[in-house]
Parts: sequence; C-alpha cells; structure tokens
Amino acid sequence: MLSFTRTKVIGVESPKENILLAHGVLDDNIYAMELDVEVKLPDFEITGIQGRMKRVTTAECWKAVPKLGNAIGLRIGEERFISKINRGVGKQGCSHFANLLLECCDAIRQQAIYGGWQKLKEKDASLSKETFLKEQLKKIPGLKDSCLLYS
Amino acid sequence: MILDYTRCKHASIAELEENSLLVRVAVEDTFYAAEVEMVVGLPALEVTSIKGKVKRAFSDKCQQAVPLLNEVVGMRVGSGIIKAVNDLVGGPSGCPRLADLILEGFNDVILRYTMPPLREIVPLAGQAQLEAYQAYLRKSPRLVGSCIAFAEGSPYREGLEV
Repeated sequence: MLSFTRTKVIGVESPKENILLAHGVLDDNIYAMELDVEVKLPDFEITGIQGRMKRVTTAECWKAVPKLGNAIGLRIGEERFISKINRGVGKQGCSHFANLLLECCDAIRQQAIYGGWQKLKEKDASLSKETFLKEQLKKIPGLKDSCLLYS
Repeated sequence: MILDYTRCKHASIAELEENSLLVRVAVEDTFYAAEVEMVVGLPALEVTSIKGKVKRAFSDKCQQAVPLLNEVVGMRVGSGIIKAVNDLVGGPSGCPRLADLILEGFNDVILRYTMPPLREIVPLAGQAQLEAYQAYLRKSPRLVGSCIAFAEGSPYREGLEV
C-alpha cells in the first residue's frame, strides 16, 4: 500500500526574449502549493516571484509567502545558491516553498541549456552536440564541472 | 503561450511486508527522463538496495553515471545524507539529476514519518491544536527554527525551552 506520494509539475515559457517564466505546482499527502518565478537571462537573475499555499499544516504557514521575496536578486548558479534559497525562503519561510522554487529554477536552467539545440540544428545540420555543449558551457553560469558531461 | 519546457517528477513510498519501504522516484522532462527505485530497511532507515535508469538524456554519456547509484547502498536516511549523496552520485564525475532523485526519495521518507502526528494535530482547532503542536515540538526539537511556523516568536514555541 502507498503511504506517501509527492508530485511536482513545472512548465517553462518564454514570453519575451531573455525572460523565462516557470510555473510550478507541488502536491503531496500533506502540502499543496504553487509558484510563478520570473528569471532574466543572461545572468539568470530571479526578478519576480509569486506563491500560493493551497494546503498547509499550521495557521502560521501563510506568513511564509512574503519570504519568497528573499529570492529576488539571487542568480541561479551563483555561489551557494541552493543554501541561500534554503535559508532565505526555506528556514525563514517554508521548506516546501524552497523545494519547489529550486525545482522551478532547475527547470529554467535546463531549458536555458538545451532549449536552443533544436533550432540551431535545423539551421546547421552539421552542428554536433559536443560543439553545442561547449558553447553552452561558456554561456551558462555554474555549468563547468557540474556533472560528468561538463567536466 | 505554448510551453517550451515541461517537467513532471513523482515520488511514492510503499510499505513492504518485510519491514521496509519501497521508494520510487521518476522524472520526465523535455530533455531527460530517469527513475530510481530503492528499498529502505526499517527501523534503521538504511538503503538495502537500489536500481535506476536514465531513460532519455541529451547525451549518451549520462548513462555512465548509473553505476554510481550503488554507492548509496548502506547509507542511512539522516544527517549528512545530502552531502554524501551529492558527493558520491552527483558532482563533477556523476549526475546531479540522479542524485536529486535519490534525495527526493529520502525527503519523502522523512515526510512519510511526519504524516501520522500531523494527521492527529491538523484537524484540531484553537487552543487544542496549539497545545498539540507545542507537545509535538517538545518531542521533535529538530523542527524548532526549521521554518516560519516554528521560528522564534511563533505561538507554537511559547513555553518551549530551546
């Protein structure tokens, strides 16, 4: 028998050049909440964030919503980014909001890394994945040595 | 506006008859799909087995990280686990996304054990709930200061010596 489940769903769109917007939803047996996060490229700065708590456990949890503002100005991939979110949004607010925000930020980052591949490949059939990744390595902060692909 | 990128991550905890938990975590997004399945033994919360797959990735090289999952066998869900998993499965010679699936599973194991007391406390109202949370915090001091609900000045912390 299942005793616990958690699902997170994220969508990323680009309403304007150099802007990525993520909408994230978290739903588990205990909590339900959602976030809208705006990130400006090329420096990956969080420029906007809104959140809603749909199902929480205490009368104090709602006070975590304004703490989302602590993420404004942080840049995805900057030094100690995850710790800063976990402290400023999580510990000072709600750890589940922080968890969902990090999921949204990672989704934005994945889109920024790989989202351009299809169009570039259509323009230049000879473009290899290796060449594309080398270019992304130069452009995306914090990518170098982040995994076996970028080491 | 049409989405450029989508991600769905799902984790589940199932109770096995042989005093253990089956933890499954899967992610499917526009560029990547992977899953991890772990058995966590009770009461030690020790990982007794793990298997996983990278089902789809931008590069075939990502498959090389899958054997690193075995590093998690023998680990216990508890303090220091995040750094251990990130160091052994994620990092420059691994895959942070596989490490993330493992950590998602561990987080959900902890939440699974948070649920029974909350099931008792959350339906209570007013003073009864306040007192129930105060008693819960006394029994679970790790929660003190962990979020705004249990921060200094919170009514749940009244009368609690830290």
